[in-house]
Amino acid sequence: MAANQRNRVSNAIDSLITHLVPARPDDDDQAAQDRHDACFELVRAMFDRPASPAIASDVNHASDLIKRKLIQSNPTQALRFSNLYTRLLSLPVLNQKWAILYLLYQLSDSPDPNEAPPLSPPKPPPQQRTTQRAGPAEKERRSRASSVVPTPTPEEEAVHEAFAPGGLKKLPTEKTKRTQTEERAPPQPPADGTSKAAARDVLIKSTLLADSSNDFEPSEMGLLRDLPFTLQGLSSTTLPFAKDTVLKLPPTLPPPIVSLLHTLAEPSLLYRGLSSFVKSPAKGLLGQSLRAAISNELRSYLTLVATLEAQIRRALAALDESAPRGGIGKAGVTLKRCVVWTREATMGLRLMSLIAEESNTKHGGQLISMIHGFSASHGDPVVAAFAERLLADVTRPFYDILRRWIYDGELSDPHLEFFVREQSPNDEDRQESKAKGQASVWNSKYEVVDAMVPSIITADFAQKVFLIGKSLNFIRHSCGDSQWVDAYSKTSSKQLCYGDTATLEAWIDEAYKTTMRRLMHLMSDRFRLFDHLQALKNYILLGQGDFIALLMESLAANLDRPAFAQYRHTLTAQLEHAIRGSNAQYDSEEVLRRLDARMLQLSHGDIGWDCFTLEYKIDAPVDVVVTEWGNRQYLKVFNFLWRVKRVEFALSSTWRKCMTGSRGVLQTSDEQVLQVWKSTRGVLAEMVHFVGQLQYYILFEVIESSWSELQSNIRKDDCTLDDLITAHTKYLTAITHKGLLGARRRQYHDALKEAAAADPSSTNPAAAPTPEDRNSYMVQLSELLRTMLAYRDCVDGLYGWSLSDFTRRQESDAVGMVRRAKRARLADNSSNPNLEDPFTTAPGDNAAGDGGGLRSELPALAERLGQLGASFKARLQVLLGDLAYQPDVDMRFLGVSMNFNDVYQPVKRKKTAAAGTGGAAAGQAGGAANPSRA
Amino acid sequence: MPPNERAEKQAAAQQAVDILHEIATILNCHLDRRTLSICISMIENGVSPEALANVIKELRKQNLDAQLEAPVAAAASTRRR
Repeated sequence: MAANQRNRVSNAIDSLITHLVPARPDDDDQAAQDRHDACFELVRAMFDRPASPAIASDVNHASDLIKRKLIQSNPTQALRFSNLYTRLLSLPVLNQKWAILYLLYQLSDSPDPNEAPPLSPPKPPPQQRTTQRAGPAEKERRSRASSVVPTPTPEEEAVHEAFAPGGLKKLPTEKTKRTQTEERAPPQPPADGTSKAAARDVLIKSTLLADSSNDFEPSEMGLLRDLPFTLQGLSSTTLPFAKDTVLKLPPTLPPPIVSLLHTLAEPSLLYRGLSSFVKSPAKGLLGQSLRAAISNELRSYLTLVATLEAQIRRALAALDESAPRGGIGKAGVTLKRCVVWTREATMGLRLMSLIAEESNTKHGGQLISMIHGFSASHGDPVVAAFAERLLADVTRPFYDILRRWIYDGELSDPHLEFFVREQSPNDEDRQESKAKGQASVWNSKYEVVDAMVPSIITADFAQKVFLIGKSLNFIRHSCGDSQWVDAYSKTSSKQLCYGDTATLEAWIDEAYKTTMRRLMHLMSDRFRLFDHLQALKNYILLGQGDFIALLMESLAANLDRPAFAQYRHTLTAQLEHAIRGSNAQYDSEEVLRRLDARMLQLSHGDIGWDCFTLEYKIDAPVDVVVTEWGNRQYLKVFNFLWRVKRVEFALSSTWRKCMTGSRGVLQTSDEQVLQVWKSTRGVLAEMVHFVGQLQYYILFEVIESSWSELQSNIRKDDCTLDDLITAHTKYLTAITHKGLLGARRRQYHDALKEAAAADPSSTNPAAAPTPEDRNSYMVQLSELLRTMLAYRDCVDGLYGWSLSDFTRRQESDAVGMVRRAKRARLADNSSNPNLEDPFTTAPGDNAAGDGGGLRSELPALAERLGQLGASFKARLQVLLGDLAYQPDVDMRFLGVSMNFNDVYQPVKRKKTAAAGTGGAAAGQAGGAANPSRA
Repeated sequence: MPPNERAEKQAAAQQAVDILHEIATILNCHLDRRTLSICISMIENGVSPEALANVIKELRKQNLDAQLEAPVAAAASTRRR
């Protein structure tokens, strides 16, 4: 049995040899036989060697090995193998299934013997061995058959190599090296032609595959060794940095490696750029923090590089120099892996260098906005997360500034990066507002720069922050309450940082409320803002009637004198008198102290009335509300009201004189004089009515209603100083606008301020700078007032005339009485007509002469009175006509209340030019206004 | 051995060779059916699989060497063609 088996095995070996080592066509039979025998011996020797004990004769073991192998390389095939394997197991014929499987496993992935030399012959027929010893014809046939087998021509070889996976051009020197490394692989048979066989062997494709990547200089190992340095931006011998932005690759490298190195060069160059950016000097705190944050990130990148280097070192140390490709495939670190490992870091570096580049042109808040733009609106979550992380560090100085600002009220921003900024004093806008007197510590010290508000903060929020800091700063510096600010910043100061927006907003809201409450408290309690406003209304806006009446009464005689004869001390003395004599004495000392009487700049020919003014002095913290501009408005209103009041005072004193006079001195039997007096009284009454309505309107309709609006605005709970200022400005504007002082006729409202600035209170309308100003109500009103004053003077003249007429009549009565008595006596004594005659005629002539002198004044007076009265009426009608077309309801109502019984015919503007009675001013005004309207 | 049994066995053997050939293809063994059947028979006769694998590899190499020895003639013949 054993012999039989042995025999069978020998036969099998025989056929195997024939099959695998076909006879060569050019060998003769003897040589072929020899070779065959040699092979046979070799095979026998190998079989006789004891089997390795490691192989367990277990069918499952072999299949497991195969399966594992397949799963690694080709999972679908593994499944197929499992199927085949179960089928195989079910077959009854084979006894040594595991052995066959093991054989297949051993032979798996072996180089294809038919392909190794390209176009090698398809399996030679197995019967070749028998035919080998055939005749020459047979040999001839065989030789032709085998001549089909081409040994690769050099071209083919080149093509083949080119398409090898490495795609390399083999350098001649490499070939020998490779052959050396190759030779060690399988146990070298003592067969002939060793070196040549080995040289041929490298042509096997799989070997090429494994081998290819070592075929360049510098080798992958060398590159790997230098890679950590390159990644840190340092030059190495193989990969020197030519310039800051150029990495020089060795020219000898094959394209795949070059492309790998390109990928690896990116982080290196980015790192280089970023590290120089980090070292560059920053412009501001945010720039510095950005650099710090980036250098932090770079540090973590360097950590990665360090890990990588450790891996590379270990791999290189463990490297088996003789393994194919230097054994690099097994070491676990290759250039490709390095590319993969540095991939994420490269993205980070890329983003950072983008940010670094953009940061050069950005500043402060814009920088934050830019990075926030990446984190908020970038679709790539990795980029967003990275930017978010960066933002937390970068915004730190910003939040520090913010904290200082909202808790201390100090702007510690040396590089102008915050969105609040101190205003520069030589800005054009600033100077303009300063010129208008609207600048104050409150609204001219700081400003919000919209471009610098970072996008992490909304505009509302920024405004709030601005207000908080401004208020604190104001409290500290203008209100002198730094203790409170210090205490506040100590108790409520919180560390602000990026991230929790909701909490941040809550804190800022809280800070806002606290600060505003404190500021309002200071304003109302310590600085008596509301008391001052009340006092301004009482004294400057003539709210305190008894005081004003007393003041006017006591000053009247004084003010009738020319302006240069007014002395401040008399004025202040009278003021003091008025205060003492009225309810004003109960006002607080604080308020009264500020009240002052003085003269405005005098111009030639002015009398005291024109120059006198009351003043209410406002000082430091309160002047943010009552600004210089506000003060001017108050003064303007006061001047106007003072003049109205003066006219009223004059008219009423004249009226009183007339009334008392009519019971005594004005009684006359002269019909003509009575008629003059009657019409005069009528006009006077009209004037009194007009002035009364005007005063009523200004004091009650305008000032009081604006005042109550102001009150309701500033008594609100969440009123801020800004609201207060706005409310007060609105209040003043309403007064100046509605009180006829600033309002232009028709559509000139938008030019309100200019009109106010153009000083319509000027007593000389001819000096009004533009024709438009002639149109303003102010001019009309002052014309009216002047007419009234002139009329009053006339009435005084008439009164004087009547008085002298009365005294003359009284005298003549007395003379007549004496004469009658005389005459009686004379008649008693002697009746001498000659004597009597001249006496009887003489007084009559005298009286006629006297009466004629006096009487001759009467028509002139009457005419003047009539003229002034007509002029007054005409002007009034023009005014009423204008008021009727006023868009403002209150002002229209003034017209209605003045003309409640339609005694006047309001004149439309266009007719005034023709009417002519309105005086030159009205005519000119119409003429000037018409073309502009056309 | 009755002939039908023999035929049955042959069919089974054929099937086994089919399956094993397929496995060999999956594993890239580059064995043709004939070589495979020789191998199977050898293993069935008690040859160690490891040794056999070595033998096959060795013989393949020998064949390669043999082909290398006459490259010139072969090349010439190809050219001529």
